[in-house]
Amino acid sequence: MTQRQMSDYVLIIMKNLNLLAVLFLAGVMAASIHGHIQAGTSMDFMMTARGFTWAGWKIIVMAAGLYVACLLVMSMQSDSAAGLIIKISVEIILGFLVSYVLGFGYMGVILLILADTMKYFPKSKLKFPVAVVISFIYLFINYEFMSVYFDVIPLSVYLDYFQSDARALMAGLQNALTSLNTFVFLVYMIFLLWAQLDEKERILSLNRQLNEANSELQKANLQLEKYAEEKEQMVATRERNRLAREIHDTLGHALTGIITGTEASIALMDVAPDMAKEQLKVIAEVARQGITDVRRSVKALRPDALEKYDLEKAIYNIVEDMRNVSNIDIDYQCHTSLNGFNNDEEEIIYRIVQESITNAVRHGHATAISIDISRRYGTLIVRIADNGVGCADVKKGFGLHHMEERLNLLQGSLHYSGDRGFTIEARIPIRWGESEEEGERND
Amino acid sequence: MKDNGRNKNVNGRRNLIPGIFCVLLCLVVWVLWGGFDRFLGVGSRDTLTIGVFSDSYWNVQNGYAYRIVDDAIKVFEEEHPGVTVEYTSGILKEDYSEWLAEELMAEKAPDVFFVLGDDFSSFVDAGALKDLTPLMEADEDFRKDAFYSSALACGTYDGKQYALPFECAPKLMFVNRTILDNEGIAMPDNDWSWEDFYNICQAVTKDTDGDGLTDQFGEIGYTWKEAFESNGVQLFDQKGTECRLTASGVEESINFIEKLDVLSDGYNVSERDFDLGNVAFQPMSFSEFRAYQPYPLSVKKYSGFQWGCIPMPAGSQGDNISTLDSLLIGMNRKTANEENAWDFIKTMTSDPAIQAEIFDYSEGVSVLRSVTESEQTLQSLIEDSGSEESLNLSILSQVVEKSLVSLRFPGYPEAEERVSQAVSEIIGGDGNISMELIVWNREINRFLGEEKGQ
Repeated sequence: MTQRQMSDYVLIIMKNLNLLAVLFLAGVMAASIHGHIQAGTSMDFMMTARGFTWAGWKIIVMAAGLYVACLLVMSMQSDSAAGLIIKISVEIILGFLVSYVLGFGYMGVILLILADTMKYFPKSKLKFPVAVVISFIYLFINYEFMSVYFDVIPLSVYLDYFQSDARALMAGLQNALTSLNTFVFLVYMIFLLWAQLDEKERILSLNRQLNEANSELQKANLQLEKYAEEKEQMVATRERNRLAREIHDTLGHALTGIITGTEASIALMDVAPDMAKEQLKVIAEVARQGITDVRRSVKALRPDALEKYDLEKAIYNIVEDMRNVSNIDIDYQCHTSLNGFNNDEEEIIYRIVQESITNAVRHGHATAISIDISRRYGTLIVRIADNGVGCADVKKGFGLHHMEERLNLLQGSLHYSGDRGFTIEARIPIRWGESEEEGERND
Repeated sequence: MKDNGRNKNVNGRRNLIPGIFCVLLCLVVWVLWGGFDRFLGVGSRDTLTIGVFSDSYWNVQNGYAYRIVDDAIKVFEEEHPGVTVEYTSGILKEDYSEWLAEELMAEKAPDVFFVLGDDFSSFVDAGALKDLTPLMEADEDFRKDAFYSSALACGTYDGKQYALPFECAPKLMFVNRTILDNEGIAMPDNDWSWEDFYNICQAVTKDTDGDGLTDQFGEIGYTWKEAFESNGVQLFDQKGTECRLTASGVEESINFIEKLDVLSDGYNVSERDFDLGNVAFQPMSFSEFRAYQPYPLSVKKYSGFQWGCIPMPAGSQGDNISTLDSLLIGMNRKTANEENAWDFIKTMTSDPAIQAEIFDYSEGVSVLRSVTESEQTLQSLIEDSGSEESLNLSILSQVVEKSLVSLRFPGYPEAEERVSQAVSEIIGGDGNISMELIVWNREINRFLGEEKGQ
């Protein structure tokens, strides 16, 4: 059983003890009133008491009723501090009324309220002031103080009805109940304190565990970083090996053939020029074959779509794909042929379109995107605009930065603006000669 | 946020049932507390209960136990159709205060009840009586000045009117006219002084049958109380917190009593001596005076001599006054029937027809000046007494008006006992009177302080 549970049990004991005390005192008062009426000494009672209370049975019902009402309020739950304050105030008022009905002969209920309140303020800053206020109320609710402000009949007047031995017994019981209540309160507070110390201990140990786990995690992180580095190097090595193998397989094969053929041609040149000519034709064929192989190798290193299709088709495909997978309205206009670009350029154009659509969807939450590709003099202009949220202060992320960097390599430039959606414009100079040559060869 | 909200709802639902029970319990307690009655003025509005006793306040069995009350109820019920007035009959005066206290304790007390003069301050102290001052002020029909101010003051405590007087009786000096006639002394005037009183006492104290023993005396029952009253001494303040044994007039009064005592020369004069016609003066309540007239026994009792009544003799610092005993009517503080209760109290105290019945069916004096001074009253008093000479009735109203309010506070009997003891010890001893008075005054004040602090 934990200390917290123990303190709860002690609180239940305290509640029952208070009920007993309240009923006992109300009973004594009722018995006294009844006795005075029976014995015909009401006038004496009135003269000493200088007042009247309620009929005997009413005192019992009222005291018990107010006490039970107080317990009911205690059983209510509240999350907010204001709710708790209201709850405690109502409890104190009810506890005070119980004391009032009992002629301020018993104020243990206030102690019970204090005990119950401590349960609700385990860590709150309110705990201290609330405890002080309730303690003050507890200190001041006794007959001596209260008789100054309230017209109540002290318990001793009721006790006067009884014979001296019974009176002593009842007064003794009253004191015993009060003391017992205080004692149970102390026990309760000790358990509560234990429970709180235990909890603190537990939190400390949890904290320690957390710290250990944290440092282990850091270690693991470092290892992971190292591992990632190694992995990168491994990939680079593998790629190098693949390139080496590719070069060896394709270029090496072709060049070897060319060297062998050329040497044979040199030997044949003087003896049989026709044969040499034949041989050179074969060499040219081998060289051509080599170039084809090189192209195939390079192709193998390019992005999938571009590998399979030409640029125009590839762009069309990603637009179509995006249309299919989302509800975004994409307007794609291409006013020029995209055939004349080399692989680097194609890749950049393709990447710009792809990245911009992705950004518009991911960051701009756009519902409509327009893609416009046109050629003006020697420049290709790729313009992508969306109706998304845009952004007032554009921070270059990795994507934009990467695009800009790669465009710079091609002597191109990137322009963008975040007002009214997001607009991005890439300008790429067209290198006619090369690109046309390459274009033709590509075809 | 969402989670918090759901928590609150769960709490709200969980708190609902204890909350409802709590409010119900509080309502029950409120109803028991008496808030409900006061709030709705429930209580049976058409039944007014009153507390009365069956015999006379003046300790005379006159056979008219509930006559005046019944007549008042009749008048009241005619004015308030639908309202019935009820009372418990058969309670004797000696049990009445106890009965009333029991009813108050059991919260069954009547709305309106008689308050005996002696118990008035106890009931006020116990909070049993409603302060009538606001009702008096709010009621335009109520004429405060119709009452004798002294009678009204009997129901005043701490400046508030807690009860209205129903009937009253001043203390008068009963005079054996036969002795005075025999001694050739004229009946004293209404404004006679201590000196006159002493001179007559001195003159009549003698041995008439020549057996060497004094057998005719001046007075019986004239104590320090009467002397203080007629010498301007107010022994206690109204709340009984202070004794004024050192006030001026006290020493003179004690000296006067001592002088009177010396006259009887050690013989202990008893009331029987007065009945036998051997004493010239005895202070007596007006009610006693009236009671002896129609009462068959009294005829025999006083048949041996002629008698009459005059005001008390005045001391050098005082007046021809004495205390006024009164029967009061108060309202239960917890009454739910305030309006009717007030109207009934008014009927009892301010209706001239009802008040006039006091002279027919009771032994007191009406608290209304106009009723006491009326011709009808005069006639009925003369009829009763059978002779015009016994009481100079024109002075009655004046005596009542001038009367002192008898003080009664918790602990009064004990305090009075101590003053008696002080006076007798001072008279018996031979020390310095003013020194002894200071000592006694301190002791009685200490007693009063303890009584208050209890």
